[in-house]
Amino acid sequence: MTVPRVRFTGITKRFVGIVALRDVSFDVTAGACHAICGENGAGKSTLGRILAGVHTADDGTVEIDGAPVRFASPRDALAAGVAMVHQELAFCDNLTVGDNLCLGHLPRRFGLVDEHALRERAHALLAATGAPIDPSRLMSSLSVAEQQLVQIAAAVGAGARIIIFDEPTSSLGDAEAKRLYALIGTLRARGVTQIFVSHRMPEIFALCDTVTVLRDGQHVATQSASGLNEAALVRQMIGRDLGEYFPVHAGMPRGPERLRVEHLSSPGKFADVSFSVHAGEVVGLAGLVGAGRSEVARALFGLDRAAAGSVFVNGERVNINTPRAAMRHGFGLVPEDRKRQGLVLGMRARENSTLPSLARFARAGWVNRGAETSAVTKSFARVGLRAGHESLATSLSGGNQQKVVLAKWLTADSDLLILDEPTRGVDVGAKAELHAWIDQRAAQGGAVLLISSELPELLTLASRILVLRDGRICGEMTREQATQDGLLRLMAGIS
Amino acid sequence: MRPDVTSSHAPTTFLRRLAGSVLRSQQIGLLLVLLVLGAALTLAAGSHVDPQTGKTINNFLNTYTLIQMATDASAFAIMGVGATLVIIAGGIDLSVGAIYALTGVAMAMVLRAAGPMSPAATVALGLGTCVTISLLCGLANGTMVIGLGVHPFIITLGTMWILRGVAFVISRAESILVPTSLTAVAKAPLGLGTALYPVPLLCMLAVTAAGAVYLSRTVMGRHVFAVGGNPEASRFSGLNVPRITLGVFVLSGLAAGVAAFLGAAFYGSATSSDANGYELYVIASAVVGGASLSGGKGSALSAMLGAVLIVTMRQAIRTLHLDQNYEWIIIGAAMIVAVVLDQRGSRLLAGRLAKSA
Repeated sequence: MTVPRVRFTGITKRFVGIVALRDVSFDVTAGACHAICGENGAGKSTLGRILAGVHTADDGTVEIDGAPVRFASPRDALAAGVAMVHQELAFCDNLTVGDNLCLGHLPRRFGLVDEHALRERAHALLAATGAPIDPSRLMSSLSVAEQQLVQIAAAVGAGARIIIFDEPTSSLGDAEAKRLYALIGTLRARGVTQIFVSHRMPEIFALCDTVTVLRDGQHVATQSASGLNEAALVRQMIGRDLGEYFPVHAGMPRGPERLRVEHLSSPGKFADVSFSVHAGEVVGLAGLVGAGRSEVARALFGLDRAAAGSVFVNGERVNINTPRAAMRHGFGLVPEDRKRQGLVLGMRARENSTLPSLARFARAGWVNRGAETSAVTKSFARVGLRAGHESLATSLSGGNQQKVVLAKWLTADSDLLILDEPTRGVDVGAKAELHAWIDQRAAQGGAVLLISSELPELLTLASRILVLRDGRICGEMTREQATQDGLLRLMAGIS
Repeated sequence: MRPDVTSSHAPTTFLRRLAGSVLRSQQIGLLLVLLVLGAALTLAAGSHVDPQTGKTINNFLNTYTLIQMATDASAFAIMGVGATLVIIAGGIDLSVGAIYALTGVAMAMVLRAAGPMSPAATVALGLGTCVTISLLCGLANGTMVIGLGVHPFIITLGTMWILRGVAFVISRAESILVPTSLTAVAKAPLGLGTALYPVPLLCMLAVTAAGAVYLSRTVMGRHVFAVGGNPEASRFSGLNVPRITLGVFVLSGLAAGVAAFLGAAFYGSATSSDANGYELYVIASAVVGGASLSGGKGSALSAMLGAVLIVTMRQAIRTLHLDQNYEWIIIGAAMIVAVVLDQRGSRLLAGRLAKSA
């Protein structure tokens, strides 16, 4: 029997109030592409972080090539050849790509930074990973996908033999994800062992040869990917069969017009956008990254002062130039970036969910905690959130965090919901629940504008889909007309 | 919080919960440090025999010293509660010492110009002047911070010099006496013995309680935490971030005004050099109390305890007859140690709780 590249034995990790991992043991074969899957909160990222030295295990051992290791920091791990490509990218945005790539070991000449050698080295690293990025560009000017490539280049450059990818494609478009897949193939040919933390089915099956499933912090199975299908994998991940979700509401007659937008424009972002959303309707907004979808959402929610045009709510012209005004007219925005825009991570779930509506539970500025708690209990039950009221938002899984953001607008009684990528970074179980929730919200007479990069999501939920390209609406399709292929062509402008 | 305790095992669960919440509270570490320091000082201070009563009195643990310390701490603590609001909201206010000086001088000049009045009218006019001037100063800070989009450190560094300069110019650097009716209020014995003045202590407790209630029980208080924790998410939740920012600067100014009223009344005069350097003691109090300079974290009670700790350390130098020249070195070192201990302690405690859970 050959010695595995990585062996986890009895790994246990506790965080405040929760056990993230309980007695997890399995092996990763050298040169493999090994998927670790599970729902959000199953402990898969934590396991990756333990291997990469971000966390230390409370119990159990990690062995690399048969020798036990215990990394106190990512630097230690890197010295032993383990690198991690993080979900949240950790770079100094104010420095150049080259600076970031060489940060730990800047080339020196006469005690000063040798700019020439730095550029050379950075260039070589980027070329090795096939990333066409100029090392003198500022980190902040790169797209998320480009930043990820830089991170991989840094890992390879540091001589990593084991690379852990933590949900690498969760913020990438399709084309960018494809480029990442190609790179993963290249790395594999070079004998780099890759651990892929993900819950995206297609990529797990396309890329990985071995799959480990974690559920509630415990090891469920480690198996060859070839003997597995999607349904079986989902069953292992959530511990039950996931019924294919069919929207109950789709196809029901729509109610009166709730929102009409006419000739909405914002210089440099989007122009002449007109559409309407009726009560009981989910309208999809499709488009490539950068087409202006989130910008339209922000403008509708009063977050873009430069936006001009007419907005009608229930047939009446309204003037919305602050989020507060938008909320008065029943708008609620679930923003694109949950952690930066959706939540105050240092506050509790309860406090986050009542942030826009706290004044409702107060008399003369005094918060009535009883009223607040009962409202929160109700809205958490309605979004299916099972975490405690008093959990810190930062300790919740992605799916639960998103439920807190939805609960915010439930508590505020918003019935004109703008959902910007509501299921990004959310696991399969929670995703089905969120879809059911969105559909139900419309069935109850709410009007929903759904922005999503996942076409299947739009095709399932939306009764009409608007396509935005380069800041202009270039087409509209009903559910019956729309196909994935047709939408993609419209989005990309290919006739 | 939830009255759902069943009667059969109510006492034990209640006690447990109480013990738990005390242990978990942010203040426990600070309180322990204060108690240990107090006990050590009591042991080390020695005692003397009071010539009048013949009783043995500890040189540290006696009513006079403790009330004196509370009086010293009151200015830092009252302003510290205001500073804590600003720090929780993610800002900083360096101008509180200058607001104190300007407010005190302005009040003394207004009262001097107004001439003799009834004691009640004097107190009302004095307090009214202090509140008005300090609110205006806070309003100026806040307006500039939100209107000019410059970091509050720079704005309040500027107003720190400007306001003290104004105090200097209008008072011509004189020390101005305040009417004795004010001193009578600030030094009211309230039934305690002679030379014991509990009013500053009571004001400190009242302001701390008001700050604590504001932060934990009001809509505004919750919003202050949210804005400091994540201004972007607060904006996306429809909070009026500029107004909340303005509010904390106004309250910080007001706290300085209240402290100035108390100080000028207690000591009987005001000059433009009053409260020189207090802003740093005030920020130190808030930070020793666990407020995070990156925003989103802090407590009024902790700020008060922080102020008391700093004053206790100064008192230790006097009680133990250490060389007074070392005061700053000792306080500076102790502040760093206190903050480090606080951070380590809360991490350790969090780990414990995680394991026991």
